[in-house]
Amino acid sequence: MPEANPPTSRRVAAVTILTLIGLCLAVVCGLAIGPTPIGTMRILGSVLSRVGIGHSTLDTLQSTIIWQLRAPRLVLGLLAGAMLSVAGGTYQGVFRNPLADPYLLGVAAGAGLGATFAIMDIGGGTYTPTWTPLMAFAGAMMAVAITWIIGGRGLRSNAATLILAGVAVSALLTSMQTFLQQQASAQSIARVYVWLLGSLASASWSSVDLVLPYVLVCTAICVVAGRALDVMSVGEDESRSLGVPVRRVRFIVIAASSLGTAAIVSAVGLIGFVGIIVPHIVRLLVGTSYRRILPISVAFGAAFLVFADTIARTVIAPSELPLGVVTALVGAPVFVLILSLRRRMVR
Amino acid sequence: MSIVEIEHLTVRAGSKVLVSDVSLDIEAGTWCTIIGPNGAGKTSLVETVAGLRKASSGSVRINGTKLATMNERSRARVVSLVPQHPEVPAGMTVKEYVSLGRSAYHGLLHAPSAQDRRIVESVFERLALEEFALRDVVTLSGGERQRMVLGRALAQSTMVIVLDEPITGLDMRHQMELLELLKTQVEECGLTVIATMHDLTLAGQFADRLVLINRGGVVIDGPAGEVVRSAELAQCYGMTLRVVDVDGADVVVPVRS
Repeated sequence: MPEANPPTSRRVAAVTILTLIGLCLAVVCGLAIGPTPIGTMRILGSVLSRVGIGHSTLDTLQSTIIWQLRAPRLVLGLLAGAMLSVAGGTYQGVFRNPLADPYLLGVAAGAGLGATFAIMDIGGGTYTPTWTPLMAFAGAMMAVAITWIIGGRGLRSNAATLILAGVAVSALLTSMQTFLQQQASAQSIARVYVWLLGSLASASWSSVDLVLPYVLVCTAICVVAGRALDVMSVGEDESRSLGVPVRRVRFIVIAASSLGTAAIVSAVGLIGFVGIIVPHIVRLLVGTSYRRILPISVAFGAAFLVFADTIARTVIAPSELPLGVVTALVGAPVFVLILSLRRRMVR
Repeated sequence: MSIVEIEHLTVRAGSKVLVSDVSLDIEAGTWCTIIGPNGAGKTSLVETVAGLRKASSGSVRINGTKLATMNERSRARVVSLVPQHPEVPAGMTVKEYVSLGRSAYHGLLHAPSAQDRRIVESVFERLALEEFALRDVVTLSGGERQRMVLGRALAQSTMVIVLDEPITGLDMRHQMELLELLKTQVEECGLTVIATMHDLTLAGQFADRLVLINRGGVVIDGPAGEVVRSAELAQCYGMTLRVVDVDGADVVVPVRS
């Protein structure tokens, strides 16, 4: 019989500290790396001057690059990585399904349809309208609402029915989006495609302001739900017999995960892989308890996405790689490496 | 005094009647085993008593309070469940698993209190689970696993414990061990046990009372010795049964026709 290898509190503490160090490094990379070289210490001086310590040595151009280009992009990347990762982990817990990701209930398909409609109908395919994010957000929330309703009329539904409803709604909305694209010019299809691949290139403080409240509230709800998700890992009936109001908890965490994901998708497009891979990597490192997985996923996901974005915007500079491509290219080998290391440790 | 009062309970699933007009009063500190052939409605009955199924009509009261008026948390403080096929989530330690039994006390937003931890430790001691405490739940054998699930139910500190076929899949030694552990809790802690079982011999040896049900309704209800010797028992199973006295214990033997 194999001996168990449950994570020790020392290992969890070590992973937490390393993740926080990684997060700090990601912040430094996000601010310091770019086509215009600016010294890390000078950036730090500028950051400290903002909180009243010392004074900045950056000139006006450098200050604009840091505070109007790199900083909002960094903050939006941190928020997107944190939200997608914690939402993915929460979905995996609430559905007890390791393949669950934040797009499971139709958020991606709904947002894609909304954005496609905005670009092609409102923008006429010639430009990406400013209210594309709003249309994407509306599409995402509409998709989740339809899934929730047809997946068993809300509170009475079970997890499997909801997943199936999500698959059906995603297929329907994706086919509608494909139909719309079929009617479009090559130029507008290209715009839609760029949006679908996801990017932090258009990040601004206004987009940060827009998603920040959603991400803070929704992330907090998901992290707090960790203890409930741990109990729910024994199944719906047993959880109820242990005192968990399963359907209410499920409604709250699905609503929080979906709302936060919709807000992020509306701002940065569809960034794949983060929501599924980060919780899995964290699970391999700290064990199966959602009380540990979810808060560490917040920091890990935030750092991961900023590192991925740094690669995306530097490898073929001045052009950018699609962020979703980089998250998969970086994430998959990291995941396989940790998986094989973990297997060796268990043996 | 009756701690569990089941009054004219009927449970339906769609048009199918699973439990039909069952009325039972179960005294505190007693062991009541529900027996009957497959599909008789045993599991539906005990799941309703555990609050997992809604009554179509009639009611279940525990300690005078209607189950239907309780929320999940209140219910988990008065009745606990050992399911027929418990889910054991890989990666969880035995200690974490048994501690889930305290969820209804510390809530979902707080960590277990010192008292919660003390109660879990006492369960580990009573069920001799200490040596497994840090093992992954999936590495336990069938008997160890069932003892752990019983530990989780005992950690709920309820007055009533419901067990759905708790010894299915265990070898004879582990069956006896588990039932003896449970009997000790009944005798020493005044626990009320409602269990379903297929093994009529063990059901008769451990229960104070047997309730034979068939097609959702109660056929006969009484002391174990009377029920295992009743003509209704053989009729319900549609076969010939003999009861043999072995050192004062009734052993129910099916006879090939």
